[in-house]
Amino acid sequence: MEHIAAEVRAQRASPGKSRMAGKLRRHFWGYAFLVPAIVVFALFLWMPIVKGMVYSLQHIDFVKGNTYVGLDNYRTVLSDPVAGKAVRNSLYYMALCLLIGFWVPIGFAIAISELRRFQGFARVAAYLPNVIPVVVLYGLWRWLYDPIGPFNALLMKLGLDQIAFLTNPSWSMIAIVIMETWQQFGSALLIYLAAVLTVPRDWYEAAEIDGAGVWQRIRHITLPSIRHLIVLMLLLQVIGTSQGFQSQLALLDGGPNNTTMTYALLINKYAFTRLDYGAASAMGVLMFVVLGLVAIVQYRWQAKEE
Amino acid sequence: MRKTMVTLLGMMMLAALLLAACSNGGSAGGDAGGGAEPVGAGSGGANGSDAANGEGSDAGPAEKITISIYYPTPDREDDRKLEDDKIRRFTEQYPNVEVVKSDWQYSPNEIGIKMAANEAPTLFNTYATEGKFLAERGWAADITALFDDYAYKEQMNPILQEQFILDGKVYGIAQRGYVTGTVVNTKMLRERGAEVPPLDWTWDDLLTTAPAVADPGAGISGIAPMGKANDAGWNWTNFLFEAGGEIQAIEGGKVVAKFNSEAGAKALDFYKRLRWEANAIPQDWALDWGDAVGSFAQGRTAMVIAGPDGPVDQGLNQGGMSPDDIAVYPMPAMEAGGAHTGVLGGDYLVVNPNASPEEQEMAFRYATFDYFSDNFLTSLEANIQARKDDGKYFIPPVIEYFDMESAFGQKVKAVYDKFDNVYQYDPASIALMDGKPEAQFNTQDYYATMTNVIQEVFANENVDVQAQLDAAAQLVQTEFLDPIEVK
Repeated sequence: MEHIAAEVRAQRASPGKSRMAGKLRRHFWGYAFLVPAIVVFALFLWMPIVKGMVYSLQHIDFVKGNTYVGLDNYRTVLSDPVAGKAVRNSLYYMALCLLIGFWVPIGFAIAISELRRFQGFARVAAYLPNVIPVVVLYGLWRWLYDPIGPFNALLMKLGLDQIAFLTNPSWSMIAIVIMETWQQFGSALLIYLAAVLTVPRDWYEAAEIDGAGVWQRIRHITLPSIRHLIVLMLLLQVIGTSQGFQSQLALLDGGPNNTTMTYALLINKYAFTRLDYGAASAMGVLMFVVLGLVAIVQYRWQAKEE
Repeated sequence: MRKTMVTLLGMMMLAALLLAACSNGGSAGGDAGGGAEPVGAGSGGANGSDAANGEGSDAGPAEKITISIYYPTPDREDDRKLEDDKIRRFTEQYPNVEVVKSDWQYSPNEIGIKMAANEAPTLFNTYATEGKFLAERGWAADITALFDDYAYKEQMNPILQEQFILDGKVYGIAQRGYVTGTVVNTKMLRERGAEVPPLDWTWDDLLTTAPAVADPGAGISGIAPMGKANDAGWNWTNFLFEAGGEIQAIEGGKVVAKFNSEAGAKALDFYKRLRWEANAIPQDWALDWGDAVGSFAQGRTAMVIAGPDGPVDQGLNQGGMSPDDIAVYPMPAMEAGGAHTGVLGGDYLVVNPNASPEEQEMAFRYATFDYFSDNFLTSLEANIQARKDDGKYFIPPVIEYFDMESAFGQKVKAVYDKFDNVYQYDPASIALMDGKPEAQFNTQDYYATMTNVIQEVFANENVDVQAQLDAAAQLVQTEFLDPIEVK
């Protein structure tokens, strides 16, 4: 009786097994090539994510050992008034990046695509700030924003008052966004330019024959043609800027009086200044949840569009 | 799609819970076992040794061991040469010890990661504020036994060494120290028609001198109080001390924040007047130590508050100033006849508690290898000579690890006197300096909190000084001081 049952089991199992084996044989090299990527992702992405979740429930002491503290870290973070300010600062920073920075590469890409000469030079020139090391960037812009630097010299020449770009709380975040826009618009520009150049030239020619001017061509042909890319870049920028903290840290260390303290910078402060890795992890998990939701929205939207 | 998402999320949650359960016990047990033993064993090792006297009378460990030591950064070429020479002499005496150089410079923001990754050197540098913090975290080895056996322990300058002796246990070795003062570019004052104040100066003198030399339109300030990072809180604390205030006090077994006192309000109000009445500080006041001292060396500010050797070094060796152009002042007293109190600070060397007993002992011996020896004098002379050859000045520490009045101190003074490129502090100024140690508990957290308050004062003319201080004190109290139980 038992023997028959085993045979039935083997018969049931074997077609699947052989199908699996066949699949594995056929796609062996494909799977083999996937292994390094999976290992890298597992070690440097998935494991830190899971560990971050674990740490968010613990008091972290790398020397004496960790202890489970339940949701204490979340309570600490949610009751910290600076955390609320950091969220508002991050939203303000993201909005400024959209307002000041988002349209710049689109505008430049369209302008460069319209150039008949020096297009190559313009592309390189626009991309150049992107390759400047950040240390040089911060030094350069500190000089530009200096009370006797070029911007203030110009303002004074125009009979206006000096502006303390970095230390005036109304200006500090704006100053950082202007600097970052200058440095980073080049890479987005290349992506937009590639998209603009794929728009069939005969559409423009037909529009020109119909009497369309430059603005009408941009409004009715270029912008609708790169609409999907614009939305994708918008979502990527929102996700990217929500994690911004480098410039805020390097230039002002989150000051003046937490005016440039972004959410990601506060995570950094919790971890490396207060050495409270548990609370920092809790902040990271909260951010992970919010950004995960944004990513799902983006994915759904994209799927719907397709 | 939904099924896959739910499965994936479930798997992640499960993995998280499993890891949480594992790491609770596993990590605690493993780390405690690995981290605690060497500390205790280190002391044992020291006790068991007859030769931990700093003179290196034996050949060191029988087996080959490796220690990593604090090594100067690449910009300090002369110091590196001296350290290389010391390593050579040390390894000649202890052939079984391999010395690995580590140019990691202590940072309160990095030490946690360094200890967690077990990457901190066997011997690393730190500052005066960090003694209690490192000892409590278990990040500094208890070197009491090694220190007790050290032949020159009685000759270590107690002003510095005592800052790393906590509850009778020794956690660090003093290198050099300072009492915070104000370094003044007297040439700039004279050129701009500002009167050079007397050494026994007051807040009012500062409030007169700073605007007299400042020219905001030209980007020149009278004084550059630090306004960024923890440095801002540290700078302001000098004024708190001058006004007779305290950072914290121990009351009934609890640590209580005290900096929102009347003295604190006076000190913060003085900053407010300096900024808004006198308009004497840089317009881009978000300066940390490097920015402020750099600004002094560039002649963009006439005065800077710091351990005097740093700004003097940068002014003379990088800013091209002459010793006659610079004067080291004590911190100004709040009122005439008051104390010129400045924060007492210094550099220390700490032994890594994760190192083996032999490594700890050798690290201690390395740290004290040249102390009180002729080698130190030879090395010092070579350093000064090398600087002279390069056309640079040598700036001695304000406070040495030894007492300058001792026999060894006199030998060092004799070396200094041989050269004309050794900066000489004005004894009258040094005599006026009144050093006060920093707070023992969560000093960096206090500094960070006060930095925000100072930034608010510098950014907002109508700020309510007392309200800011009260809010800051409450934050420091609840966040950092309440959890502490003083034994």
